Amino acid sequence: MTDPNRDLDSYREQARTWLEANLPLRRSGAALRAAHDISPGELAEARARQKTVYEAGYLGITLPVEYGGQGLTNAHQRIWNEESAAYEVPMPGGIASGVTLGIVLPTILTHSSEEQKRSWIPRMLSGDEIWVQLLSEPGAGSDLAGLLTRATRDGDVWILNGTKVWSSGAMVADFGVCLARTDWDAPKHRGLTWFKVPLHDERVTVRPIREISGSSEFCEEFLDDVMVGDDMVIGDVDGGWPIANTMLAVERGGGAHAQPVGGGPPRQSRLAPDLVELATRRGVAHNAAVRQLIARAHTEDWVQVALARRLMTAMMQGTLDPSAASYIKLGQGIVQPERAAAAMEIAGRTAIAWKRGGSPAETAAVNYLNGRIMSIAGGSNQIQRNIISERLLGLPREPSDDKNKPFRDVLRDAKQWGSS
Amino acid sequence: MDLELTDDQQLYLETTVRFIESELPVARTRALHDDPRGYDEKWLRKTAELGWFAMLVPEEHGGGSVSGHGILDAAIVAEALGRYVQPGPFIPMNVVAAAIAEHGTSEQQASILPGIVAGEVVVTWAPLDVDGQWDLGRGLVAEVDGDEVVLTGVRGFVQDAQSADHLLVTASCDGEPLQLLVPAGAAHITPLTCLDLTRRMAEVTFDHARVPSATRLASDVRDALERQEQVAVALCCAETIGALDTMFSMTVAYSKDRVAFGRPIGSFQSLKHVMADVSYYLECCKAAAVEAARAVDSRSSDAAEVTTMAASYIAEHATEIAQQSLQVHGGIGYTWEHDLHLYMRRTRTNSTLYGEPALHRERLCEVHGL
Repeated sequence: MTDPNRDLDSYREQARTWLEANLPLRRSGAALRAAHDISPGELAEARARQKTVYEAGYLGITLPVEYGGQGLTNAHQRIWNEESAAYEVPMPGGIASGVTLGIVLPTILTHSSEEQKRSWIPRMLSGDEIWVQLLSEPGAGSDLAGLLTRATRDGDVWILNGTKVWSSGAMVADFGVCLARTDWDAPKHRGLTWFKVPLHDERVTVRPIREISGSSEFCEEFLDDVMVGDDMVIGDVDGGWPIANTMLAVERGGGAHAQPVGGGPPRQSRLAPDLVELATRRGVAHNAAVRQLIARAHTEDWVQVALARRLMTAMMQGTLDPSAASYIKLGQGIVQPERAAAAMEIAGRTAIAWKRGGSPAETAAVNYLNGRIMSIAGGSNQIQRNIISERLLGLPREPSDDKNKPFRDVLRDAKQWGSS
Repeated sequence: MDLELTDDQQLYLETTVRFIESELPVARTRALHDDPRGYDEKWLRKTAELGWFAMLVPEEHGGGSVSGHGILDAAIVAEALGRYVQPGPFIPMNVVAAAIAEHGTSEQQASILPGIVAGEVVVTWAPLDVDGQWDLGRGLVAEVDGDEVVLTGVRGFVQDAQSADHLLVTASCDGEPLQLLVPAGAAHITPLTCLDLTRRMAEVTFDHARVPSATRLASDVRDALERQEQVAVALCCAETIGALDTMFSMTVAYSKDRVAFGRPIGSFQSLKHVMADVSYYLECCKAAAVEAARAVDSRSSDAAEVTTMAASYIAEHATEIAQQSLQVHGGIGYTWEHDLHLYMRRTRTNSTLYGEPALHRERLCEVHGL
C-alpha cells in the first residue's frame, strides 16, 4: 500500500504543475460574469476549457469512476481547491455552471437511477451540458409545494405546461430540472414529480428578467406542451418532495459532501477591503463611527466563515442535523443587507451619483440594490427561521390550512379564506 | 461549545458537570450571594483536585491538562462554570498562573505555581485603572528604592481581591509599564458591589507600599500583557457561551410549556422567529468562541485579531440574547426567584470585563494598521 501522505503530496505537485501550464491566474477583483453578458462565442470557448479540466481529472475528483469521476478522497478535493484558488477555473455558464455542479449534480447523485447517473453526470462534468433549476413559479416561492406547473400522462409521454421563474442562468443552460404537479387529488407535498426538461426545445421559451440593478441573471420559462419520456423522470412519480428537500439542503450548504467543485468561503485576511477602500477614497478612514462600521463588517465576515466551518464539519460527519444549513443561509441573509447598508453609509454621496467608468462607490450602490438577494432567494430568512425553530429547536409547527387535503381543494378554499 | 472534542475531553466535561451538579448547583449558589468572599475555601481546593488551576501550568510545577491543549481544556471548564453561574476566581487564577509560567522568574514559578495548582494559594489579576481602562500601569506608580519597589496608586475592578493571597498588578516606572506579583497584604482592599451576584470585585489601593524587587515579572511587559488579555478573553468567551446556552435552553423550554390563547406560546411565529434568530446568533457566538480558544491555544499569529473579534461579537450579541430571553419569559423572568437574572448578570458582566465591544472594534482597526 502506498503511503497516503506521500500520495497527497505528489497529487498536490501534479495539480500545481497542471494549473501552471493550463489555466490563467485569476484577475484580482474579478467577479463571476452575469449569465446574460456571456456571448455564445465565449460560452463555447469556456466549455472547451472546462473539458480540458475534466479530461485532466480535476472535475468530479471525489465522484465514482463510473459517473465520470476520479473516485478520490475529500483530502484530494481539498488540495485541488487550495491549489486552484488563485486560478481562473472555467465556469462557462457563470452561476448556471455553479448550479449544475454544486446543486443539480449532488441531487441527481442521491436520487437518480443508475442509468441516468452514468449517462448524465459525465456530461455535466465535461461542460457539454449546463443544467439549471426550474423551481419557483409566479405563484409559488416560499410555498414551493403550492406550485401549479402540471405534467399530464399521455400514452408513453408526459406533457408539461406552466411557468417557472427565478431560474438563475437559464439563458445559457441546456437543461432544467423541473418540479411539476402530477396528482391534483393528493395533498400538496405528495403529488409532485421531477423531470429533466430540454431548454432548447421549441416549446420552451426562456426569457431573461431585467432585475432591480438593471442587469439580468434570472429568467422565466414558459412551458407549452413540452413532451418528455419516462427516461426523463427523476426519482419516483409523485415522490418529488423529498428530492426537493435534498436539493434545498444542498443549496443551503448542507449537502456539500457531494459537491465536486469549490470549498467553503476562504477567510478574508485583509480588513474588509471594499469598505476600507471606500473610506480611504473619501478620507473618512479616521472617523470613529466609520471605523466601527468597518470593524463590525469584518468581524461579521469572519464569523460567517467560522460558523460554516463549525457546522459543515459536523454535518459532514453526520453528527449534526442537515437542517443546520439553515443557520448558514440565514447568516448570509442577515449579514449581506447589513453589509450593503454599511458600504452605502461609508460611501456617502459618492454612491448616489458618479462619473461613468466604474468605481467602488458605484459597486456599493449596485450591492445596495442587490443586498437582499440572500435574504429572499433559496428560501427567505422567514423560511429559514421556520426551519430552525421547528426542526432544530423543536417548537410546535405552524397550524396548516393546506397540508392534509387534496391540492384541488386547497386552491378552492384559499379563495374563501377568512370569509367564514 | 466545541463540536470536535476528543473522547478524553468529553469525559472531562462530563466529570466537571457531575462535580458541579453535586457540589454547587445553581440553587445553592444563591446562598453565597451575601458571602463576603463569595465561595468556600474547601470547595476551591476540591476544584483544584479536578485540575482547574493546573491546565496552564507546566508539568514540572505540578500542572498539566487532559488533552495537552491547556486553553482548550480550560475552555471546557469555563463553559461549565457559565452554565451553572459558578463563583470563584477561575479566570483570573488561570491568567496569572499562565503569566507566571510563561513570564515569571524561576523563583516565582517554584514558590507559587504548586500552591496555585493545589488551590491553596489564590492569585488574581489587576491590569485595570480606577475607571476600568487598560492604562499600562499609569494609575499605579512604582519607584525603585534599593532592592525594593514603592507602589502608590490604584488598581480597579480586581476580581476576588478580597480572597487573594497575591495580586499580579500592572504598574509604571518612569512611564514604562511593569508587572509585579505582590502580596495582597500590601494593599488596602475596598469591596465593590457587583452586577453579578456570584462575583466579587474590589478596588485595590497602594499607599507607599514597599515590596521586594524580586516580585517583578521577568519578560517584556507589553507582550506578557497581550498574552494575558488573550487568555482572559478566550476563557471569558467560553464562560459566556455556557451561560447563554443555558439561558436560551430555559427560554425554549418555557415557550413550549407556557400556554396562552389556547396554544403553547412557542407555536406563535412571532416568538418562533425571535428564538430562531437568537439560536442563530448563539451558534455564531459558539463558532467565534471556539476559534478564539484555538487561536490562543496554538499561539496563532492572528490570535490578537481573532480574540478581539470574538470578544466584540459575543459581547454585542450576548446582551441581545439575554434581553430576548427575558422577553419570551415575560413577567416570570422579571422575578428575583427565577434564575434568568443570574445569567443576565453573568453574561452582561462578562461582556464588559475584558474590554468593551467598541474598544475591541477600534483595536481591530489598529491591529490592521487602519
